[in-house]
Amino acid sequence: MNKAEVQINIAQNIGGDAAVSTEDGNEIFGLIKKDFDAGQVVILDFSGIEILTTAFLNAALGQLYSAYSSEQLNARLKLVNVADQDKILFKKVVARAKEYFANKKQFDQSANQAIHGS
Amino acid sequence: MANEKVIYVAPQVMSKHDGYTHLMTLYESARQEPSDSIVFDFTYTTWFEANLSAVLGAICELLTNQGKHVVVGGCNYAIQDVLQRNRFLCEFGYEPKRDIHQTMVAYTRFNPNEGDRFLEYIKNKLLAKPDFPSHSPNLGKKIRESIFELYENARTHGLCEQIHACGQYFPRKDNIKRLDLSIVDMGQSIKYNVNNYLGSQMTGSEAIEWALKYGNTTKTGDISGGLGLDIMFQFIKLNQGKVQIISSDGYWEYRRGEVRMLDFDLSFPGTIVNIEFNLSDTHDYYLEGEISLDDIF
Repeated sequence: MNKAEVQINIAQNIGGDAAVSTEDGNEIFGLIKKDFDAGQVVILDFSGIEILTTAFLNAALGQLYSAYSSEQLNARLKLVNVADQDKILFKKVVARAKEYFANKKQFDQSANQAIHGS
Repeated sequence: MANEKVIYVAPQVMSKHDGYTHLMTLYESARQEPSDSIVFDFTYTTWFEANLSAVLGAICELLTNQGKHVVVGGCNYAIQDVLQRNRFLCEFGYEPKRDIHQTMVAYTRFNPNEGDRFLEYIKNKLLAKPDFPSHSPNLGKKIRESIFELYENARTHGLCEQIHACGQYFPRKDNIKRLDLSIVDMGQSIKYNVNNYLGSQMTGSEAIEWALKYGNTTKTGDISGGLGLDIMFQFIKLNQGKVQIISSDGYWEYRRGEVRMLDFDLSFPGTIVNIEFNLSDTHDYYLEGEISLDDIF
């Protein structure tokens, strides 16, 4: 691991093998954001995780699209030790987050125009 | 008690549209009753599906919150035996009975912040019983995943005080090993959430159908949603299981490739999800081609 990289172990941070709740996802999101703000590349380690839900992944990873672009995330976030059978969940969550934030941006822009008339 | 009101439970109560209708009728009768003391009496009942204890337990919780004292009585030996083995009657002072056939998933109440306890419940009481039917590790994982999607959905969308769960294993239902699990919350209904979010006037069953579709969510803010119910439903289709969702006046059911949508005359003040898993399933669920996580974002 070079100096600009920091590793976050999910199981250690949530204290168990089930990454299932929105709250735990939010906690991981906060850690990633803090490390991004400090200019670090983040390695997210899923070793020891047995159960994952989209509720957790929406909060931990999907939420990153509120602040970062695909290019930034691909460059600064690495996922390791993800079980093969869980990879499809990551694919679905990422695809859904991209749709959600693209629509949200459009919605916020129209709402802004409606309110401010600009 | 002098002014107690006895409300009789029907002879047969099953996880079907008419069974849920009856449970709603029980709630409405008790709610509208001037007496503060209610007895749900099983004297004439010969069949009560054990997983429905979660629904009756949730109804009792709501009535108790409305200031009523609720008890259950009049059970014949067979009903009492089942409801003591699944611990439902322990809520009313009965002793628990050992589940000698290992077919019960005990009636349990959870606070919304007890995710860890719910996890232990699913691990230890659902899939890890010594005599529980063998199932592939992949199937066990998918079942747990689906149940947690439902639990998280009830917790975050229903904004309820408690979540009630209860299950039953049927070794030979339709010659297939099946597991029924009911998860009930008395929080905001799907109909309320969807119509409030969309500004629409959907019926209960239409609102449930909307909420089940990929990408549809009433969540706002910076966390996307709309996947949990879709993932559970896609799994149940492949697993050849069954899903029933009852919320407000809506009834939605998927069984053997067919969807049934109906509406009730009465309204259930929360959401029931009754899910039936096919434990004889030998599908391998995750060989959907190689997925690379490099540049996934």
